[in-house]
Amino acid sequence: MTIAKAVRWLLALAAGLVVVWAFFDVSVRLWREYNPNDNRVHLTVLHWGDHTEDAIVKQLIDKYEQEHPDIAIERINPGSSDYDSKLKTMLAAGTPPDLFYLRTDALPDLAEMNLLRPVDDFVAQEQQKSGGKFLDDYYSLLLDEYRYDAKATPPSHGSGPLYGLPKDFTTAVFYVNVDLFNAAGIPVPYNGWTWDEFEQDMKKITALNGKPGYQGRKIYGGYFQLWGDTIENLVWSYGGSLFGPAGIRDIRLDTPPVQQALDMVYRLRITDQTVYNPTGIAKEGGQEFVNGDIGCLGPIGRWQFPPFKEIKSFKWDVVPIPYKEKKYAASAIFLTAWSMSMGTKHPRECFELMKFLCGKEGAGIQSRLGLSIPPLKSVANGPAFLDPPGFPPVHNQVFLDAIPLMRITQMPPQQEWSEIFNDHITKSIALGEESPLQSCQTIKALWFDELNSPLRLHEWPPMNWRLVIGFTAAALMALLALLWWRARKEKLGFIDRSQERAGWIFIVPWIIGFLALTLGPMVLSFLLSFAQWSGLRTIGYADSVGMANYRQLLLHDPTFLKSLEVTFYYVVLAVPVVQIAALAVALLMNLRLRGIALFRTIYFVPSVISGAALALLWLQIFNNDYGILNAVLRRLLHPITMHYPAVAPPDWFGKDATWWAIPGFVIMSLWGVGGGMIIYLAGLKGIPASLYEAATIDGAGMMRRLWNVTLPMLSPLIFYNVVMGIIGSFQVFTQAYIMTGAGPDNSTLFYVLNLYLNAFNYYKMGYASAMAWVLFIIVLALTILVFRSSKNLVYYEGLKS
Amino acid sequence: MSTLSQPPQQADNLARPAPVVAAVGEAALPRRPRRGASVSRVSRQQSIIAYIILGIGSLAFLIPFYFAANGSLESSVDVLAGRVSPPRSWHEIIWQNYPRSLDKEHLDFKPAFANTVVITTLCVVGQIISCSLVGFGFARFRFRGRAILFMVMLSTMMLPGQVTMIPLFVLFRALHMVDTFLPLIIPAWLASPFFVFMFRQFFSQIPEELIEAARMDGASNWRIYWQIMLPLSGPVIAIVAIYTFLGTWNDFLGPLIYLNGREHRTLAIALNAFKGSQYGGAAEPQLLLAASVVCMLPCLILFFAAQRYFVESVAMTGGKS
Repeated sequence: MTIAKAVRWLLALAAGLVVVWAFFDVSVRLWREYNPNDNRVHLTVLHWGDHTEDAIVKQLIDKYEQEHPDIAIERINPGSSDYDSKLKTMLAAGTPPDLFYLRTDALPDLAEMNLLRPVDDFVAQEQQKSGGKFLDDYYSLLLDEYRYDAKATPPSHGSGPLYGLPKDFTTAVFYVNVDLFNAAGIPVPYNGWTWDEFEQDMKKITALNGKPGYQGRKIYGGYFQLWGDTIENLVWSYGGSLFGPAGIRDIRLDTPPVQQALDMVYRLRITDQTVYNPTGIAKEGGQEFVNGDIGCLGPIGRWQFPPFKEIKSFKWDVVPIPYKEKKYAASAIFLTAWSMSMGTKHPRECFELMKFLCGKEGAGIQSRLGLSIPPLKSVANGPAFLDPPGFPPVHNQVFLDAIPLMRITQMPPQQEWSEIFNDHITKSIALGEESPLQSCQTIKALWFDELNSPLRLHEWPPMNWRLVIGFTAAALMALLALLWWRARKEKLGFIDRSQERAGWIFIVPWIIGFLALTLGPMVLSFLLSFAQWSGLRTIGYADSVGMANYRQLLLHDPTFLKSLEVTFYYVVLAVPVVQIAALAVALLMNLRLRGIALFRTIYFVPSVISGAALALLWLQIFNNDYGILNAVLRRLLHPITMHYPAVAPPDWFGKDATWWAIPGFVIMSLWGVGGGMIIYLAGLKGIPASLYEAATIDGAGMMRRLWNVTLPMLSPLIFYNVVMGIIGSFQVFTQAYIMTGAGPDNSTLFYVLNLYLNAFNYYKMGYASAMAWVLFIIVLALTILVFRSSKNLVYYEGLKS
Repeated sequence: MSTLSQPPQQADNLARPAPVVAAVGEAALPRRPRRGASVSRVSRQQSIIAYIILGIGSLAFLIPFYFAANGSLESSVDVLAGRVSPPRSWHEIIWQNYPRSLDKEHLDFKPAFANTVVITTLCVVGQIISCSLVGFGFARFRFRGRAILFMVMLSTMMLPGQVTMIPLFVLFRALHMVDTFLPLIIPAWLASPFFVFMFRQFFSQIPEELIEAARMDGASNWRIYWQIMLPLSGPVIAIVAIYTFLGTWNDFLGPLIYLNGREHRTLAIALNAFKGSQYGGAAEPQLLLAASVVCMLPCLILFFAAQRYFVESVAMTGGKS
């Protein structure tokens, strides 16, 4: 007892020390941030990239800081997948990075919202200084891509202000494993190849499987990088295009060249399986290529150089993308610029840094470290690009040869397009559930539905905030007045005034919280649900759209319906399973057994863990390759698998995610069943023993007692837990965000995750507010339904015992 | 009729409604149920079956912990190969995984930990102070509108947080508080309904004579609150502290929305970022496991140190009242 006490005191002491240290540490950091004695110019730089690119940017920035001691640069790299949301978050928060990576597809939106600072003035000065030569060395196509005229109709690239300097770009190629090509007796096609040749070669390489030296491995001829722009690249090389010249309404998905290209992909990936077809989260062909199991990989840019630098086990090289006929040869272009935000306080310093990063020196360093093609012709054609140190001799000229073949993407910049396209094209060419033609017809139909949706068709008037707020305020005042009037009518009785005043003063914290954090926001959220508003701008830019948000949600948004479906699947599965489990465990815990307290602790402990740590742990437990769950399941299933080798535990969040991802989440919540268990246990302890005794005397067996005494007495609790379970299940977020990020194929796009993405990734604040209200209404309706239907089932006497 | 309630921050997880149930109505004293009054007696045969079931269940509940601990001390090769057997000797254990996973290149533990501790501490203190004040106000003073306000407060607990999420972001942005801790801390100082309810129930049960006596001696309302009410409410304070701690420590959505800078992030965000940096050839699952073990350790320690309050929380307000 005393030892336990001592331990507790020690823990408390340690906790106290930790708190003191933490406050000290944080204040020191805050002080440093606001240090008035620091006269340096502080710049924030945002970029993406894996650890190799991160190191490259770090090296460049460090060098610049060394040369300019008066400038301090903070570098933020949120990673490629979170980059867009991070940039938007910073813009929305009013703390934009001074300098950041910008892709061309992100340019129009930001330029139209006036969030980018054009650099024409600085460029003009440089031109003057250099006698007009500053821009000469840049590939002009790249500069044109970063000129954007938002005021032209239709808005167009190539003219208008210049928003940043191109940092690098890359054409698309195929990477080949030269050793595999040689082993299969295929000449490496440095000078181009046709798709027919490609198909034959894939077969030959795949035929190596099982030959001496290749046993125990799975060799594939190739791997297609299937992003929107690379699929478009394949289509071009068949002589087709996804969109006609008339723009985003002129969709050409069902034309023969497009179908030929997609059929080819389908044939190789699904039918012949000569091309690697990975499914599941975070599976890409890159790792298999590095392992030496893949003949070729593409279409893809030069950014694979740093990760491939370490390949020692085979020789690799690059070759052009195949084509149907030589005249159709084409290459996608991927380009990135450093751009400056409108909000920067130091445009001059930013431009200097930009000039360094995109100029001869910066571009040279980047190229030598293996990043993409430098934007400067002189550097691109020099040794820094063609023969970077530390890399195997590779035909870098292939990248440059593709420059004349570069074509700009026609894909619409709208995020809805990429959602529709990616979701449905995978159904055929990755999952093989339908033919490419079927996918294309679905995509076309959905895209037209989206283009014709009420939110897109109209020009909406701006929201009249003054009127709206005035009206709302008046309504609230009226309500308050009514309440006041009613309160006045209430007899004072023996309430004395000083008591009344004191009572109000004590509840002031909640009143403030209620008005500022609940009621006010509720009203605003309700108003916003009738508005279209990009959270990147101030609220004055909101447009009033009436019911259009709701109509769009319910009639034109397949993603929304998908998220509802996913969430309902989860609710229907999780609520009963978890509640029954909690009740069953509580009944067990209520038995009079030795050591039951220990079991109680064991069952309860997991329920104190939640959030990110829980999600991360379970992500690994579910991992199909090394997770313990499937390891155990495999062993348990062994007697079956001996006879039926096709039986295997599901790849929860991988290829079986369509059906198994949600049950996976349910299993996860079962681990936390202790929370529910302890509520039921308390309820069980509260049931008077006399009831059981009476039942036993009447000859009731165990089951009868459970059915006729225990369950009725517990029914209010069960009812409570079911209602809370429904509300909680509709709000699943953290697990899905961390573990699957809605994927694969939106099979884990929970409602709140979808809402979050709309609000804080796409910053469609009005639309997301409408989603929040729909959620509220659904939850409310379900709760009322449960209330109604439980009237006869819940035995409220149980509460009063 | 029962009005239902839950602690605010735990809403995003079905499995974790706080083990507290409240039936609102005229509050009764929380009678401790007679211990073991209705505990079922079991025969020998039944108890053996029960032990088997309990044993298998315990194994299932403990395996994730085992997997985390074991994996966090293996090499990445062993983890990726799916080796789940314990290390054969002391020397096989790679303790180095822990310092490595916490260092600057990986989790970057130190600033995130300090931030999380500061935010959590301020939230715990804030909830205790504000909720006890408001609970006292609702419990011991009669004023017009009290019943309505109390019902309003209870009904706000049913509101999904997503409804106010966007306007709150707009509000805090307008106040230039984004990327500071304030949006995460301020709400805790403005009283959460659920905890107010707990304090109110508790304070209602303190005998009126005690307060009357103090009033006779000339104690002001503040002194009554400070010197009588608070010292008496130790168990409620403990429960509010525990649940606020767990909720804030594990909160993910809040910091995700409000905190941007690397220096400002909490452990949960750091953990997610660390996971995001793991892919392809760079994957080191043993470090991820080590990091998650470290992040859940404080919650586990809290549980074992304050175990009796976890059970008491149910006995106090819950089960029945």
